[in-house]
Amino acid sequence: MKLLLNFLKLIPIFLLTLTLSNISISAEKNYYKDLVTDWSRIFPDNNRNAAGPKFFKYIIDKDITYNDFVEYNKLYCAVSGSLIDPNSTAEFVNISEEKTGKQICGNYYRCCVPCSCDLMKYTTVQKMKHKFKDGLKEFYVLTINNPCTKKDFPERVTKKYFCDGSNISKDQVYNLDGRMVIGLFHNTKPCNDNDIKIVKAHPVTGEYCDIRNNTPLEKLQAGMGDIFIKLAR
Amino acid sequence: MQFKVIKNLKKIIFLLLLIFPNKLYASFFEDLTSQIVENPKRLSYGVSVTDVNKDGNFDFVVTGFGYLNLALSYKDGKLINIVNENIFSDEFRRTIGVAACDIDKDGYEEIYFLNTDTYSGTKKYSDRLIDFDGNKFLDLFEVEKNKKDLNLTAGRSVACVDRKGDGTYGVYVANYGGPTRFYEYSDDVIVDKSVQLNLAKVTGGRAVVAGHIISNKMDIFAANERGANFLYKNNNGKFLDVAYEFRVEDVLQNGRGTALSDIYYRGRLDILNGNWGGFHRAYVLKDKIFKDIAKPTFDVPTRIRTIISADLDNDGYDEVFMNNIGEPNKLFKILDNGVLEQLPLDIGLEPDGYGTGAAVADIDNDGILELLVSHGESRDQPLSLYKAKVDPNHKYLRVKPLNKYGAPARGATVTLISNLRKHSKTIDAGSGYLCQMEPVAHYGIRKNEKNIRVQIKWTNGKTKTISVKDFNKTITLRQK
Repeated sequence: MKLLLNFLKLIPIFLLTLTLSNISISAEKNYYKDLVTDWSRIFPDNNRNAAGPKFFKYIIDKDITYNDFVEYNKLYCAVSGSLIDPNSTAEFVNISEEKTGKQICGNYYRCCVPCSCDLMKYTTVQKMKHKFKDGLKEFYVLTINNPCTKKDFPERVTKKYFCDGSNISKDQVYNLDGRMVIGLFHNTKPCNDNDIKIVKAHPVTGEYCDIRNNTPLEKLQAGMGDIFIKLAR
Repeated sequence: MQFKVIKNLKKIIFLLLLIFPNKLYASFFEDLTSQIVENPKRLSYGVSVTDVNKDGNFDFVVTGFGYLNLALSYKDGKLINIVNENIFSDEFRRTIGVAACDIDKDGYEEIYFLNTDTYSGTKKYSDRLIDFDGNKFLDLFEVEKNKKDLNLTAGRSVACVDRKGDGTYGVYVANYGGPTRFYEYSDDVIVDKSVQLNLAKVTGGRAVVAGHIISNKMDIFAANERGANFLYKNNNGKFLDVAYEFRVEDVLQNGRGTALSDIYYRGRLDILNGNWGGFHRAYVLKDKIFKDIAKPTFDVPTRIRTIISADLDNDGYDEVFMNNIGEPNKLFKILDNGVLEQLPLDIGLEPDGYGTGAAVADIDNDGILELLVSHGESRDQPLSLYKAKVDPNHKYLRVKPLNKYGAPARGATVTLISNLRKHSKTIDAGSGYLCQMEPVAHYGIRKNEKNIRVQIKWTNGKTKTISVKDFNKTITLRQK
């Protein structure tokens, strides 16, 4: 009987916990909805080609916590500028650190497979510090060379989104030590041998990217990634 | 020991009551579908409410896509189709959108049938604009002088707009894959004025509403597909698209059911806007921009069609009925402070319903709104008719504004002002999606509500306020 009584006492606690957990789920922020809602603020002329940097700038300018920042940055492809389904899984990739040349491994949320390859070949990562609502944080970001000096700036990319003359526009995108930040590199760590093996063994980041990254640019025919290459090379 | 067990069981039951109250609610609706005489499976779309046969009572006009257009009139406890003239019924032109308003200023509301025999772009058959001379119906677009500007583009919704506020109604036609049209009488000829009014944009037109949204004249909000929404501010009878400035352009979403609703009970019309498979919006105006305050479960993407905001149960709070196609309908109650509380549905849930349109009207004049739901598109289904189960203690007040021509003042705004709320409702010019509601502001009266006044803002922006002492009646106000 005592056991039964104790069990009965636990049921209300269980039910209350269940209720509160439901409340917390329904009250969660909808990061994807925010980006959908503000899409035409981020891209006033509706061209999001290779415009990952615009997303990054829009997000980091928000008054948000570090966790919010991370969640928002999972929802667009830094290479193509496309929104990504909230339930997408990340790809594990390795990218050179700009300052040291060391390989940094981490997760990249992409819209389609060529973007992972282009990311690994044409970007580097840099450490960046930023003060969020919950304090100062340091993290790795994905960067490319200043594209604004290019004479062959890709026509399908809105130059005014990125550039103020031949300089990176500080109002439009984030300039980190003269390089343009295109997105956040998630869950980073220095690569070890096993990490590199994992990347190389993966059908996308291994075999497919080997082929793509050894194909001359004029022969590449895979959508937005090509536009990004012209911007980032 | 036994006492202790019982005591604990009581606690558990109490907690269960708190946690799972939804299961304990009685059905919100009762099903009155059997009142519809001859209700076969069919492909229906838009539904409007107007007085089709000039008998002083409103009727449901139900469009048919390859089926007859119907005029369902209430008589002896039944809804019966009262029109069998080809020009009206016209099963061959495939009607989907419908709205009624007095275009020729004779006090009778002409009925605009938007026909669409193709998904997008050029269509074969033009629309119809039905007038009634007391004996027979005629299509004003078949009158020779009106044939110059026929709409031969596929479209969806239509809404009536008294753009100058002088009782001259035009019809905004939301076309798909071709320019928007705006039909109005000019020198006794019906012409398309969309170009000169800055409305002739090409888009995937879906829903349209019109009323006092951001100015003192009738503005227009058009929810579009594959492109930005339009918010046309009335600028002395012409229009200026300010959707971007007011942050309702919503480029990535595909607009569907839309209704004007006073979401905060603050005496102004805001916008409920459903998006196909996208986030449903509850736009409220704040600091000169519309802020979307919709949260789960209201904003959760569904296959949305019609959205209706109306006080169905006469408790003084509006419900929002969300008619989905191929998935269950939803019902919400707008509580104070913009809280949208989902109400459980069983009757009216229609989990297998292919809802394509819906409208509300007090069709049997008992002071409670009936909800008619049409179905179709990819599955032929009969119509459904529902009415909320209303607490007999609930009182109501209905306000029916007529313009100076004696026609329903569609686009006017009625505001009930009391010790508890300032609640605006539009006299519906076209809303939902393909549809149009009855031209009456229907209010349930709240508990402990007193000092009630009713203000009407006419389509010219002028206002008139009256005190209300008695309830359970319809007040008809005529513009001078």
